[in-house]
Amino acid sequence: MKRIIYLSILMAGFLGLCFSPASYAAGTIKVGIVDTYSGPPANLSKDVLDGFKLAVEEINAKGGVLGKKIEFFTRDSKFNPAIGLAMAKELVLKEGVDVLMGTINSATALAVSELAKKEKIPFLVTNSRSEKITGEKGHRYVFSVAENTAMAGRAAAIALSKMPYVKYWIAGDDYEYGHAIAESVWKELKARKPDVQLLGQTWWKVGESDFTPYISQIISAKPDFLIAATGGASMVSFAKAAKATGLLAKIPIYQHTVVDYGIMGPLGPEGPVGIYGTVPYLFYYPESPSNKAYVEKFRKAYDRYPQMFALFGYAAGKLIAQGFKKAGSVNTEKFINALEGMVIDSPAGKLEMRACDHQLGLPMMFGKTMKSPKYNFLVAGDIVTIPYKDYMPTCEEVLKTRKK
Amino acid sequence: MDFIYTIISPSLLTQIFVGLGRTVVLFIVASGLSLILGVLRIPNIWHGSLYMVGAFVTFTVANAFGGGTTGFWMAILIAPLVVALVSLVVERSFFQHLYEREHLMLLLLTFAFSLVFGDLVKMVWGTGYKSVSAPRFLEGSVDLFKGVTLTRYNLFLVLIFPIVAVALWFLVNKTKIGKISKAAAVDREMVSAVGINVSWVFATVFVIGCFLAGLGGALVAPTVSISLGMDHTLIMEAFLIVIIGGLGNMWGALLGALIFGMAQSIGILAWPQFGIVFPYAAVIVVLLFRPTGLLKSTW
Repeated sequence: MKRIIYLSILMAGFLGLCFSPASYAAGTIKVGIVDTYSGPPANLSKDVLDGFKLAVEEINAKGGVLGKKIEFFTRDSKFNPAIGLAMAKELVLKEGVDVLMGTINSATALAVSELAKKEKIPFLVTNSRSEKITGEKGHRYVFSVAENTAMAGRAAAIALSKMPYVKYWIAGDDYEYGHAIAESVWKELKARKPDVQLLGQTWWKVGESDFTPYISQIISAKPDFLIAATGGASMVSFAKAAKATGLLAKIPIYQHTVVDYGIMGPLGPEGPVGIYGTVPYLFYYPESPSNKAYVEKFRKAYDRYPQMFALFGYAAGKLIAQGFKKAGSVNTEKFINALEGMVIDSPAGKLEMRACDHQLGLPMMFGKTMKSPKYNFLVAGDIVTIPYKDYMPTCEEVLKTRKK
Repeated sequence: MDFIYTIISPSLLTQIFVGLGRTVVLFIVASGLSLILGVLRIPNIWHGSLYMVGAFVTFTVANAFGGGTTGFWMAILIAPLVVALVSLVVERSFFQHLYEREHLMLLLLTFAFSLVFGDLVKMVWGTGYKSVSAPRFLEGSVDLFKGVTLTRYNLFLVLIFPIVAVALWFLVNKTKIGKISKAAAVDREMVSAVGINVSWVFATVFVIGCFLAGLGGALVAPTVSISLGMDHTLIMEAFLIVIIGGLGNMWGALLGALIFGMAQSIGILAWPQFGIVFPYAAVIVVLLFRPTGLLKSTW
């Protein structure tokens, strides 16, 4: 008998150990992040994570939200939708996360979004730029914190339509992001300025290292203007090749996010002067107190300047904290209701989470790379800020895509 | 010069020169791969990682010497040597024990090394994109003939080609180690039977092959963004080149690189929207008619 009692005590203790993480979990708000932390996209995902960490540290230092600290778990999806989805499932089922976040890979983002819909877990997309996330595949549980290709293209078209160029050439990475951004710029440009002509297109494989053969062909086609739809590491290679081949001296170029510090930083003082670009965040502009404070904190924590992606991580952290605070409890439905239409303070100014499609409205800055007396790399100059209300697709336009 | 343009347009001529520049880098990397494949019988996927490491070391060395012309030359000199040293350590500690294994095993082993090195590079250099500038005298472009503009760096690559090719030819055909390695490729046991230390011959060949990967990475560094993942793209192209040229045949690697580089640059001129398919289409055509590669395979 004694033996049985002893055994049952042991058993109870063991079971207690098994369940203790669950009881501990009641004290925190858990955020599960699935993103690519290896290979080429790691550069962008790490920036998102650093921005998010900064926000979480700020929030937790002030005692957290609703008396609970924010706790986060990261998983490396290796740029693979199947792995990413499995990781997201594991985070939901095993760790019991309250919110999901990620991912740079659009296919992974869409797969996790489906899971979020099924499991009723809010999912904040922090770096994929696919317009499908809040567009045709949008639903109640998914939110996009990053600017999408539809937004970027439309903002660029507003600026380009005011320029005198007529004969255009489109060149880019042969994958979804490249095609989506090019198509979006072109559709809007054609609508705003019907006399523009498309002379031709060039598409190279993702990860192409040598752009010279493509560029020399574009130069000989003599367009007035080149829309370069590249992403990731190719942005740096392409900008370099554009300068070395003399393309930039002959034909003006637009490239979304080329003015970002993540691209211009590595190129240093010898970077290509005069490329046009759009970007939702610059660490040196506008020189608002909130931006300065954020940049200072970021540099202290990571010993580098923040790229635009850090803003998305930071904004996601703010949204999570403010959302649960407004909801008053850790309740998914209340949290989602709270996020809809929520306005947060960010280094890029006040940002509104649009209630109709769950897309964060971001300002878009259009500028041109130029040398800076202050920094050892090129910065954006002649900046025109396009407020999000001027360029975002309307709620009706977005919701129409969902009905298809 | 004008009479040439009646036969060939300036834009085609430009594409040919540009394609030659690409060919040189592809040849340097693929010849190293082919050498290792021919003599050691290792399908070395890790080769791509060494190319990447070469580019990253170039970044570090160039910056250590303050960039500019000195930094560039020091980097071109030192980076391939660093890569060679790394490969020597790995060869002596791992590969030398595994030469007798079947090819699939070696393929998996080198693939594992490429994954490990992908992560090592991330740990050492971080995730950010890196960039090295070409020295001033190689920056910008130059008018070769009327209407034919070429980047100076491209021209530099084309000029470097004969140096590398002659050095390789000399190494393989005129030096003792070259001759022994050629013999070892044919009959490993016979070579060791006549009292030659095959293990060190193999190590030397392996290191030379890897040196070429590092040299390719160093030479390409000023024209690209040095980033994680640059190994994957290249290793695929290098393998295709080696396969169409004839496994293990150095001049096959040259021919393969030439076909690949030219198909790419001329294909772009012909049909820019679908330029990427041309080099692969060329590979298919070659393999349809010469399944064992263009030149004699040593396998």
